[in-house]
Amino acid sequence: MPELEFVNVRKSYKSPTGENLLALADFSLKVDGGRFVSVVGPSGCGKTTLLRMAAGLVPWDGGEIRLDGDQLTGPSPKMSMVFQAIGLMPWKSVQSNVALGIQLQAHRRNLTAQETDLVGATLAMVGLKGFEHYYPYQLSGGMQQRVGLARALVRQPEILLMDEPFGALDAQTRAVLQDELLSLWGRVKSTVLFITHDLDEAIYLSDLVVIMGRRPGRIKQVLEVKLPHPRYSYDARAEAGFAHLRSIAWQSIKEEL
Amino acid sequence: MTQSADRLTSPAKRNGKSALATLASNHYVLTALSAIAFVALWQIVSMNVPPIILPSPAKVAAAFVELTASGELIRATGQTVWPFAVGLSIAFVIGTSLGLVLGIFRPAARILDPYIFIFWSIPNIAWLPLFIAWFGVGQLTLIVFVFVSAVFPQLLTVEAGAKEADSFLVEVARSLGGTKSEILHIVVLPSALPYIFAGLRIAVGRALVGIIVGQLLIVATGIGYMFQFYGETLSLAKYFAPLIVIAALAVALNRAVNWAEHVLIPWKPRAFT
Ligand SMILES: Nc1ncnc2c1ncn2[C@@H]1O[C@H](COP(=O)(O)OP(=O)(O)OP(=O)(O)O)[C@@H](O)[C@H]1O
Ligand SMILES: [Mg+2]
Repeated sequence: MPELEFVNVRKSYKSPTGENLLALADFSLKVDGGRFVSVVGPSGCGKTTLLRMAAGLVPWDGGEIRLDGDQLTGPSPKMSMVFQAIGLMPWKSVQSNVALGIQLQAHRRNLTAQETDLVGATLAMVGLKGFEHYYPYQLSGGMQQRVGLARALVRQPEILLMDEPFGALDAQTRAVLQDELLSLWGRVKSTVLFITHDLDEAIYLSDLVVIMGRRPGRIKQVLEVKLPHPRYSYDARAEAGFAHLRSIAWQSIKEEL
Repeated sequence: MTQSADRLTSPAKRNGKSALATLASNHYVLTALSAIAFVALWQIVSMNVPPIILPSPAKVAAAFVELTASGELIRATGQTVWPFAVGLSIAFVIGTSLGLVLGIFRPAARILDPYIFIFWSIPNIAWLPLFIAWFGVGQLTLIVFVFVSAVFPQLLTVEAGAKEADSFLVEVARSLGGTKSEILHIVVLPSALPYIFAGLRIAVGRALVGIIVGQLLIVATGIGYMFQFYGETLSLAKYFAPLIVIAALAVALNRAVNWAEHVLIPWKPRAFT
């Protein structure tokens, strides 16, 4: 699986008053192939910016982003991004929105029978069986978020970029999807860069938890999670190691609030 | 995770409404009632003014039947409808495609927009002498005049719509690997669709004015000429017949556009029904 590397990346935006707003300063992080890395940090510290750059959607001002050693030049068919603001096409049904993940990857309008089955299976996996023909406005926020997730997963990506994908979900659905994600990841071993506000979620899912400081975003601390996989096969959250990591991480985050 | 689709079907019908309330909420009933009230009011006013000011509904109806039976009204309607339809159709196709292109390729729009705006701002009627000089006194001038009347509202409205395509949805499509033409198809066109209909509504109105003015001033045929003829000869009852035809045409076209919009845009929740 491909690795993703940020080397001294800088990114600034123009503020409404025309000044430069430095979102990320000298950000360096290596996400090894096949690893699950989470990023946590205060609101506005540049996490979404980080993912949009990795997805090849926005340029950066300095440093390098490398995909498997090569300079990143734009969106890659190997990647899928799950957006914090979801971004479903309002004029497409649930099924068509998910199919878009394949259509725009393969650059053709029609799906093969196999691909149609895959769309159905992915929708079933995120618990949306029976809602194939609904339009986004007819879904709850959490259901929309699951469509966004299905659209990313149906591409069978080698790199998965996820921006608070479970943020809008209720606790039960979130727990189910966390386990689904872990089991999927256990099977295909994609490289995952996962952003969340939820420390427990970060520790439960990841090999590595990256804690960011206030804007301009930089890495404050990196914690390695050594709990064995698959974590849904035992009560990983109840392990002593889990609680220990959480208290270290929480201490670190509290200083940034 | 086992939500089932049938839980989301339409809410149960409300009970306990009075029969009168149910009747009043039926919009066909409302339409019929308002039409009756309109004719009654017309009758009352016409009984109190000289017939040269306002003929009674019965006289107008008789004139309408007479003009229809003689074939005059039907012939005039045909003469009006086809140059109108041709001019409007060309305006719709060109206005919509050019509007989409200008909405997306902003550098081209920055060059062309001022000219388009100038043409749009000039009162239509000012073009007529020029068109007559260019295209003579005939159907071609009429079609061009209808076209010029309708194309600018269509173009400008569609351009505004294409420009408004959500940049975030464009970003999402890009992240999935979408090319420029795929993005046009998947994001820009559907988001411009409501504007295409909004433009069409205005274009229909302008084209109707165009055809009537054109027939009145240039070719002396069709509905436009009937207005002129019966207006000048003060045959007011007959004057109302072409008026009814135009009103019916306008309403029918507006209904057709509404219906097409409803069918082609099923994804929008309606704030007001
Ligand atoms: N398009 C933009 N133009 C100008 N400034 C921007 C833009 N996008 C983001 N910013 C700024 O960059 C900073 C980082 O934003 P970003 O969205 O990356 O934060 P985040 O860490 O994802 O926050 P949250 O946890 O709330 O989602 C913020 O201060 C924001 O105002
Ligand atoms: Mg964010």
